[in-house]
Amino acid sequence: MEINDDLKAVRDIVQAILKSKKIIRMYPANNPIYVKTLEDSYTRFRDYFDYREELVLKIKQNEIIWDSEPVYANAEKEDNLALFFFKDGLREVSFKRGLSSEEVEDFLRIVSMDFEREVVDDDIVTLLWERDFQNIQYIADDAILVDEDNYQERAIQQIEEHSNNPDNILKAYQDAFDEEDTSSDTSIVPLSDTDLQQLMQMLDQESHGKTEKIVDLLFELPYLSESRADFEELTTFFMSAVEFIMQRGDLAIMNGMLLRLDGLISEPHIDEEIKSYFRRVTAYAGNSTIIQLLGELLDSGQEIEDKVVEEYVKHLDKNAIQPLMNILGELESIHARKVVIDALIFLGPKDIMSLAKGLNDQRWFVVRNIIYIFRKIADKRAVEFLLRTVRHPDIRVRKEVIRALGELGGGGVFQTLRECLEDQDVQIRSASLRALGTVASEAAKRIIMDKIADKPFKDIDFDEKKEFFEVLSKWKDKEIFSFLVDILKRKSYFFGSAKNDEIRACSAYALGLLGNKEALSVLTKTKGDSSKLVREFSFTAIKRLEHGR
Amino acid sequence: MDGKQERELHKNAKELINQLSVVLRTSQIHDANNVALVSSISRLVAMINTLVSQENILVLELRGEFFYMNEYRIRYSLEYLLNFDFMVREFKKRELGSVTFKGQIRSDDIKRFIKAFLDASFSQEPFNTIQEEITHVRNIDVGILKKIVEDDSLDVRKMVKKTYFNAVSFTQGVINKIKTGEKVNIKKAKRVVESMVDQILEQEQLLLGMTAIKDYDEYTYHHSVNVSILTIALGQRLGMSRRMLTELGMVSLFHDIGKMDIPNEVLNKPSNFTDDEWNIIRKHPVWGLKAILKLKKFDDLTIKSAIVAFEHHMNFDLTGYPKARKKIHIDLYSRIVSVADQYDAMTSARVYSRTPLSPDKALSIMMERAGTQLDPLIFKFFTNMVGVYPIGTLVMLDTRELGLVCESNQLFPNRPRVMIIVNEAGNRIKGMIVDLTEKNEKDLHIRSIRKTLDPTKYNINLAEYLL
Repeated sequence: MEINDDLKAVRDIVQAILKSKKIIRMYPANNPIYVKTLEDSYTRFRDYFDYREELVLKIKQNEIIWDSEPVYANAEKEDNLALFFFKDGLREVSFKRGLSSEEVEDFLRIVSMDFEREVVDDDIVTLLWERDFQNIQYIADDAILVDEDNYQERAIQQIEEHSNNPDNILKAYQDAFDEEDTSSDTSIVPLSDTDLQQLMQMLDQESHGKTEKIVDLLFELPYLSESRADFEELTTFFMSAVEFIMQRGDLAIMNGMLLRLDGLISEPHIDEEIKSYFRRVTAYAGNSTIIQLLGELLDSGQEIEDKVVEEYVKHLDKNAIQPLMNILGELESIHARKVVIDALIFLGPKDIMSLAKGLNDQRWFVVRNIIYIFRKIADKRAVEFLLRTVRHPDIRVRKEVIRALGELGGGGVFQTLRECLEDQDVQIRSASLRALGTVASEAAKRIIMDKIADKPFKDIDFDEKKEFFEVLSKWKDKEIFSFLVDILKRKSYFFGSAKNDEIRACSAYALGLLGNKEALSVLTKTKGDSSKLVREFSFTAIKRLEHGR
Repeated sequence: MDGKQERELHKNAKELINQLSVVLRTSQIHDANNVALVSSISRLVAMINTLVSQENILVLELRGEFFYMNEYRIRYSLEYLLNFDFMVREFKKRELGSVTFKGQIRSDDIKRFIKAFLDASFSQEPFNTIQEEITHVRNIDVGILKKIVEDDSLDVRKMVKKTYFNAVSFTQGVINKIKTGEKVNIKKAKRVVESMVDQILEQEQLLLGMTAIKDYDEYTYHHSVNVSILTIALGQRLGMSRRMLTELGMVSLFHDIGKMDIPNEVLNKPSNFTDDEWNIIRKHPVWGLKAILKLKKFDDLTIKSAIVAFEHHMNFDLTGYPKARKKIHIDLYSRIVSVADQYDAMTSARVYSRTPLSPDKALSIMMERAGTQLDPLIFKFFTNMVGVYPIGTLVMLDTRELGLVCESNQLFPNRPRVMIIVNEAGNRIKGMIVDLTEKNEKDLHIRSIRKTLDPTKYNINLAEYLL
């Protein structure tokens, strides 16, 4: 291979490194572009090593040199490959024949790291060092590590100032003949297989994380603290621990820590001022940063037992409500959302007002979730907040809130439910009707009866009519029985007779649902009614009453 | 070679060394026809032949403390540690540097090699014995152990010194930065420790030698670096990976960071401490934990460093300080640091303990503490590492020469390499290094240690010789 060909090959390799640096940052490892770029880079190295044993790149601040020829030059500070290597002290990188594709990939991954943005405690030299490549070597200048250039010279000079007095050494030499022989009384016992086994057990024990240990030590600190400043510091340590633990997803450790803090808070002999520091930590465990991390954890797919999350939530205070609502709209997995909803069901009663703020969320599904939470909490104080949501633009929200109002009941809901029975949307009317059924009060019954008795009722759709009667049948009292019998007996007139027959048929249906056998006589009569619909529904109702189905 | 092949090669290489060691050990106990020996030889032959058929040639070479197979450095793993150590010792003892398998071999070839290997241990010229005895074994060659060239050794010494002083300077910088509230660069700290790990892996004795120089004005910084070096070296003996060694070196470097909060008038007090002053001194582990946790956000390394800072004065039997309310299990790193910390502190002239102990005396006191203050197993590994006469011990030889131990000997702990500083005529000399394993023509040791001396008693500055 000619020298010029070599030079071109090296330049191509450097260009391949530059290209890979961009591609690796942009694409995931399974992306075809990513895969192809790595393959191309490896091919360039492999082709080069067909003819040579080694590729040595010298790193200058703004240049990369091969065989005294520049193969890369860039005077800019941004995107400067030479400077990228140079600033961490890298002065030479050499690749050897035998370089594997895995080594190329790992090297390019290291080179592609964005050290400015990513939170890493390593620089490029450390990463190369840790990877311990078999066929990639480097030379790094460690002078960048120290602040004082001449420390070594100064230290050695200091030592030399204490240089030996020849007389002292000779005196030691002379005295040695007079002193008794004192060879060392230390005996070295050779290492045995048992020692090695013990060592392996020991190393195995130590391989677990140290989070629990540091938490244990933090709980020693209150007893070693003396001043407010000590407790202030301790509080920040606990908070950092909380954050770290949540990042790691060690909820069991978190629960243990919060339990111990709760224990300290409930200790009668601990000063209230000191307890206030511990309370700050438990509050921190539910702040937005930590809850955000919880969200990431729940969405990560990591297996976490529900009861561990429940346990964690039990330690939280009302300040966690808003952050939990915030993540509710961001979570991607259904299970994660369920976990957060359950958390809010637990925490909501601690601060209904805070929970109600979630009803103002811009995302319809968050609002619907909050309404669901209110339903589950079943606190009548929620009604006043829910009533404001009845006019929500999203029908799914409206349906949920009407259902909630039905479950919560109370005098305040009737006016709204009555109005909803007049809504233009049949789904809302239906939801409202069912909500009234759920309330199951006299007032609710009256609203439905009035609605049926109302003249325009005959004009509504048959299915809707039927639903009214179905709901009404939940009140299994005499008044309803009479009300239904009266309707069934009602004569049809020529005009609108079909609509009236629909009402009568629904009444027959409801009598069947009511379960009162006294209705059999009237139903037997209407079984022979001129209206086919009434006949059919009467027949079905009789069967239901006679056979209980 | 792709990653899979590389892993395969590494696995094969480790197993080969291990199997060779098994064969050599077994052959020391049993005769050539013993079933156990024959079966282990067959296994070895199969392994060698497989590798030879893949690689055409198989060169097993000892360089420094490491074996290489076809230029590939074999990394140690804990499961084979004792066998690897055994092989290094046995090769060195026979001045055997390499064994080359050039083609398919038979069990008889190996048997001849074993016989030559065993015979060599009784020979004055062990390598020549092996070479002669296997002349007729066609497919096996041996090479002599290469010695480090003097010029190279000077360069290496320079590098080791640079690493050491960089570390001390960096430590000083870090402590000053923490005191003034500046941000500490952990990336740089890792680089410093990585250099030390490299030096320990390649030039253990030289870097350990640097820790023996105690005549510094800035005890705290040197002590931190010394403990770091000693723990890395010990960690290597415990079979830790490079990554773990870095971690251990880092936590050791910061173990005494709490001392920066001790008022100077206490820390630098030349006379004995009062009870109150001791109470202050005893707070430094707690202050250390706090200082580290304030340094940066929690991560694995911060946590481990904080634990070690807190526990390094807690004893193995849970005495010591600080006193914990809850019974805790003292961390492995803390137990390692505790041994290195005690050893370096006892052998150094601190402000509050002007008279340092000689290394062998310190070791002897520590031996009494093994099982109570110190973890006995860790201490056992430590003594095996530093030897009976650790580097820096002043020794009088039976040849009427005064010398300084400059390199310990793994195989013969009571026969280190010694730098002679006064010759048999009573004249000061510098630079002559003798190996106490050397024997004369009557197979008697030329030199042996008669007694150890206390260099501090005579104000002898070891730095002049070890630097």
